[in-house]
Amino acid sequence: MRAFIEIIGTEFKCFTRNFLNMFFVLAFPSLLLILFGEIYGNKPSSLFNGQGTIDASVPAYIGMIITVTGIMSLPLALSSYREKKILKRFKATPMSPFHILTSQIIVNLFMTVIGVAILILIAKLKYDLKFNGDVIAVVLVVLLSIFCIFSIGFLIASVVNGTKAANAVANLVYFPMLFLTGATIPLETMPDSIKNISKFLPLTHSIKVLKGAWQGKNLSDYGSDIMILIAVTIICSILSIKFFRWD
Amino acid sequence: MVIEVKNLSVKYREKNVVKNVSFTVNEGEIFGMIGANGAGKTTTIECIEGLRNNYSGEIRVLGINPMKGRKELHKLIGVQLQETSYQDRLKVKEICKLFASFYDTKESIDDLAKEFNLYEKLDSYVGKLSGGQRQKLSIILALISKPKIVFLDELTTGLDPKSRRDMWETVLRLKKKGITVYLTTHFMEEAEYLCDRVAIMKQGQIVALDSVENLKNNHGLLDKVSFRCSHNIKNEVLMKFKTVKEIVERDNHFTISCEADTFLSELNRYIIDNNYMIMNVEVNKPSLEDVFFKYTGEILESLEEQ
Repeated sequence: MRAFIEIIGTEFKCFTRNFLNMFFVLAFPSLLLILFGEIYGNKPSSLFNGQGTIDASVPAYIGMIITVTGIMSLPLALSSYREKKILKRFKATPMSPFHILTSQIIVNLFMTVIGVAILILIAKLKYDLKFNGDVIAVVLVVLLSIFCIFSIGFLIASVVNGTKAANAVANLVYFPMLFLTGATIPLETMPDSIKNISKFLPLTHSIKVLKGAWQGKNLSDYGSDIMILIAVTIICSILSIKFFRWD
Repeated sequence: MVIEVKNLSVKYREKNVVKNVSFTVNEGEIFGMIGANGAGKTTTIECIEGLRNNYSGEIRVLGINPMKGRKELHKLIGVQLQETSYQDRLKVKEICKLFASFYDTKESIDDLAKEFNLYEKLDSYVGKLSGGQRQKLSIILALISKPKIVFLDELTTGLDPKSRRDMWETVLRLKKKGITVYLTTHFMEEAEYLCDRVAIMKQGQIVALDSVENLKNNHGLLDKVSFRCSHNIKNEVLMKFKTVKEIVERDNHFTISCEADTFLSELNRYIIDNNYMIMNVEVNKPSLEDVFFKYTGEILESLEEQ
């Protein structure tokens, strides 16, 4: 157990020393929030069906943070560990590569939570963020979103060979997820054609449920979105387990 | 005997990469396996290290079956994998500390770092290390658990000549400490310099296994004696000398394939009788490389092609 904690500690250090990870998880969402906060404030806006810009953006940006850790950080770390034979090297110790893999999940999960906390804190202190939902419901939806997006990242790490290819695929998944799902640019401003495409991206559903939960709407109104998230999580997890290679 | 391999065979994608290999490694020796890339060296070593399960045959390492006692085994052996790297964003001392936390008995990190000349680099990031320093780190991590056997898979591939020499001294130091060393290499001079016994592997099979001395002596390979003579000696005359097999002559420069001692004493008598003089005498004993070529007929890639 002590050794496992030691592995988590070192993986945590690796994460915090990766500038891109730190910037996009901890700083970028808040900077974006401040940018739009300064322009529009948090007054009720017709664009967001009477919600304030900040109130509508925070759940969307939570989705953005999960995408950074789940689609970029996690699969890139794992595929580089495989390419560098770090996973295999762990197999040649009394520990197992499973420990390093679990550590990566824990660290990315933890950093996601920290990123979300910073975002909410800034929104609350600076723009008087309003929250009408049920905390437990929001936490559950956030967790479901994390499982779903992380499982997609895991699938990338499992089926794509080599760090360079993983990087390309991660970017290919990452940018549509970022721009076509409402995570950065509100879907409400998009033409119908894009809205149709966005239905095929799991993050769209994740953000939709997040926004609903944030406003205190009943989760049962989002049954189909939740089902999609659960289905994606299960399918990606099964495929990952089937295709994942240690070396 | 610390390693015992009996009838090891490995199939990979319908291809037999290791075919019915048997050998043992004795306690305290440096055992080397040489062969071209793809000969099956790495597959064999990985079976013994407990990193593969898809083999048939029997393996015992310190009495442990690596397929069943993986954890137990990894407390007792140290492993350096071919071309491993570690997390670039970790400092040398952090990765050392991490690996040390896996074991109950452990070596002092500072002592190891001092011994391997990496003490000044303890605070450097792994990503900033040179190739030689990386390999030293690899060895340190393999030694951290005070192992009884150390496995080194192509330790010096990709290193410059100076770092390679340093590594050789490092390996000899391990032996002095009483650690058994199992290494693979495709550098003949490395195996010749380091190994007590060498196995030559070709297409998944061991084609020869003996001490370097015996390999060189027992396979009918001749010495090459070259010299310059003040007068021309006719080929027919030299051919009559005992053990001479082949003569190459250019401007009174002779290169003779023969048994050096027998030939030279006869040559000595001959030149005194004739009042000739010989100069620049050079005797080249057959090298392990000659033995290797004889067995495999394979040409190894040169260092530049690595």
